[in-house]
Amino acid sequence: MGELAKSALKVFEKAGVDFGDMRTEERRSTTVRIANEQLQALSSVVRKGFSVRAFHHGAWGYGSGTSFKLDSVRRAAEAAANIARANAARGLPRSSLKSIKPTRRRVKPVMKIDPADIGLDEKTELAMIVARAQRFNPKVASTFAIYGEWDYEFQVASTFGTDVSWREVRTRIGGQAVAAEGDKRDFAYDFADGTGGYEIVKAVDPNEMGKTIGMEAVELLTAKKPPSGLMTVITDPDISGLLAHEVMGHASEGDEITKRRSFLTDIVGKKVGSPLVTMYDDGTYPGAHGTIQFDCEGTPGHKTKIIDRGIYAGYMHSLETSGTLKMPLTGNGRAENYSRRVWVRMTNTYFAPGPDRFDELVEETKDGLLTHKSISGMEDPVGGGFQAVALMGHLVKNGEIGPAVRGMTLTGKALEILKSVDMASKEFKLSGGFCGKGEEDYVPVSSGGPYMRSKIIVGGG
Amino acid sequence: MTLLSLADDAVRKALASGAKAAEAFAMTYRTKSVYIEQDVPKVAEDRTEAGIGLKVAVGKRVAFTSASLEGQKDVGAAVAAAMKAVKMVPEDPDFPGFTSFRVMGKVEKTHDSKTAEAPVKDLVEMALETTAAAKVRKDIAVPKGIFRVQDYELRVANSEGAEGSHRGTLVFLYFTAKSGTKTKAGEGIIKSLGVSLSQQDFQAIGKRLGARSVENLEASALRERIAGTVVMDPLDLGEMLIQTVGSAVNAEDVRRKRSPWQDKKGKKVAAEGLNIADMPRLPAGLSSCAVDDEGNPTADRPLVADGILRDFVHDHYNAALLGGKGGNAFRRAVATIEGAYARPAQCSISNLVVEPGTQSLDEIIGSVQKGVYIEKLAAPEVNPFSGAFALEVRNAAIIEKGELKDHVKYALLVGNMFEGLKNVAATGRELRPSHGFLTATGCCYLPPMAFDGFELVGQK
Repeated sequence: MGELAKSALKVFEKAGVDFGDMRTEERRSTTVRIANEQLQALSSVVRKGFSVRAFHHGAWGYGSGTSFKLDSVRRAAEAAANIARANAARGLPRSSLKSIKPTRRRVKPVMKIDPADIGLDEKTELAMIVARAQRFNPKVASTFAIYGEWDYEFQVASTFGTDVSWREVRTRIGGQAVAAEGDKRDFAYDFADGTGGYEIVKAVDPNEMGKTIGMEAVELLTAKKPPSGLMTVITDPDISGLLAHEVMGHASEGDEITKRRSFLTDIVGKKVGSPLVTMYDDGTYPGAHGTIQFDCEGTPGHKTKIIDRGIYAGYMHSLETSGTLKMPLTGNGRAENYSRRVWVRMTNTYFAPGPDRFDELVEETKDGLLTHKSISGMEDPVGGGFQAVALMGHLVKNGEIGPAVRGMTLTGKALEILKSVDMASKEFKLSGGFCGKGEEDYVPVSSGGPYMRSKIIVGGG
Repeated sequence: MTLLSLADDAVRKALASGAKAAEAFAMTYRTKSVYIEQDVPKVAEDRTEAGIGLKVAVGKRVAFTSASLEGQKDVGAAVAAAMKAVKMVPEDPDFPGFTSFRVMGKVEKTHDSKTAEAPVKDLVEMALETTAAAKVRKDIAVPKGIFRVQDYELRVANSEGAEGSHRGTLVFLYFTAKSGTKTKAGEGIIKSLGVSLSQQDFQAIGKRLGARSVENLEASALRERIAGTVVMDPLDLGEMLIQTVGSAVNAEDVRRKRSPWQDKKGKKVAAEGLNIADMPRLPAGLSSCAVDDEGNPTADRPLVADGILRDFVHDHYNAALLGGKGGNAFRRAVATIEGAYARPAQCSISNLVVEPGTQSLDEIIGSVQKGVYIEKLAAPEVNPFSGAFALEVRNAAIIEKGELKDHVKYALLVGNMFEGLKNVAATGRELRPSHGFLTATGCCYLPPMAFDGFELVGQK
């Protein structure tokens, strides 16, 4: 533990608050953006800062800064303690944090090739290949590709005796093409990412990725309007993952339970889906984008079963929600960075693979829709409603995949959808991204699952 | 030496290190925020940060680095990183160099000292006032509220002698309310933005929040399809316009052939009488400033006049390539200023302003025979290239013979925003601000508007 952390913890002890911690972060990132096969921007970012927080009788006070002078840290810690004590004096409902055993650990990242050992020219060329390959057809009007790497170092020290430090490295390669014909325009994208080194992007065939992006953008120009209404939908792993993440995941975050804002409050042990539905949040999943060594409170990453064969199993927790609900810690107390607060957040959230082959799902569907890739999704922890936008889809008629249809919105009550799941594939995939809580506080996550067949309301296009 | 003056220091150090040109953007900010959880001020914060963004050029090679700032040593590290990177990137044959303006002056009322100096305990009281006002019924709780005030200052300088400064305050409020019981709950969500606390009516915000949760609770699932006039509240509509119009008028998207309006200058893109301008000089505007984030002077600019596309917005790079005027390069978002220094400036709208009409919202609704009033959507996301959308509504009410009737939910608002602009049925008179994605630059000021051609689709 460094002198700054010792000083902050001393401030908390002197102030007599129930708990205090200090997190320092050094965030280094590099992104290469290629637009229309030309370098648009090369950006490298270094953000170093600290966060101090105090907890007292149910209230939190936070401070943060980018000055690592002893006085600055001490002042921020004093301000945090004062804020917590002042709000606690308003008579907030008392809550206690789950105490954890004093831990001292230094953890290295799991990676084969440190991105720092690879030249910028190679990274730029990789993105350039993804961009060039998109231009396979004159209808591709615009190309874009991005290479990104994020190398974060964390240290957390707390009055519980936590003293841990670790490094997280993530890499990403991806692209987006816009196709145009007359006044018609549409777009397609693809990417690959994960927690790990340069080996993640090196495993991608950049030509294949770029060509697929371009082809899908062009295909969308002639795609038909999708049908609408309640129908049989085979959700691809991206859309299955959005259902897991946006509705069941957000509503399983422990702070939504303690606030009684979630439609899943008091639902442990009850049926929420068909027996084919098993769901996890797994911060330990090797190489996935949301994988963490520790959360921002110093709790190790954890695999948490949310739904077990259709029966609701449990929530995700921070120190506080674990203490309040008297449930085990799950390592889900995460913050976007040192200048944002900790919330209960997901890591890698997914439905487990099922017993069927993807081909079987298609063959056994007489009249339905197969989704392909997601554009967005929105949480609804109060109402349990599902809203996701798919990039595109294909009609399925008499067991065969038919013509492409344009992007569509999928909606409905999540529990009704999960209870209607009657097939789930062995094929399984996770896709990375960044997740906000409401509209803010973006953290790296992934979501995914198998191809799943269920009844969903479809609209738009 | 102040932290902001490190922008000039960075330019000098970059030139001394071999850069042929350099541009630096330094900023400091303080954030105070309160988080309400289940009616109480659970978390409160007082934070500070400083940072610098540095662009260096050697010939036609350009690289950008940024760093959080404690002092001069961070500037040295940023310069070294930029100089290392610039040697390894391909040339950009179109790089036009940096601007050479010295921008003086400021836009009125972008900074409010009372807002900047408000202590955390006062913000807690304001958040609690909003919370109390939301309780229009006994069964209402406020599970989540975010209330944030930011005071920021920035300076931009470059090797061509350009310089400019700006100071502002931002206020952001996002609250949710829940009504009903464990088995049947309704949620209301409300957002409010501004540059001063005096612009916020916490009582009114709270009351409307509570009412929205009750309306959502009591709304019935829509079964049929309604194809009449759709009247929209400005907040979510503004986000839809930022995604579509904001992208269509962006010179970067025009040059890259991503904009559906790339060849529409002088042509009709919207209904007669509809005027849309970019107004960085709007007094008290969220994105208002005399200087943009790469040092060019800003200027108000008509974009759509009487339905005809007149102009695009340009940053320095695209202005040089397309022949426009710069002044629209931004890094700052309006919902939070956090981390703006860590992003290179990009071509963007500032305050996209839809010229108000003469009718109040009540008068617009009163003129609709059959339609729907959309107050809140789940997520107002539109395909920026095609304009298509299908969005779940959270707060909506049927309009019949000029009166609001039943509230409805579980329905999708379906349409195309570019087509909708050609079918504007009415434009209200009260302008309100709206913003896009959290870190998205620019914002939109617009009144309530009514459209023909959209549909509200129920579950059958």
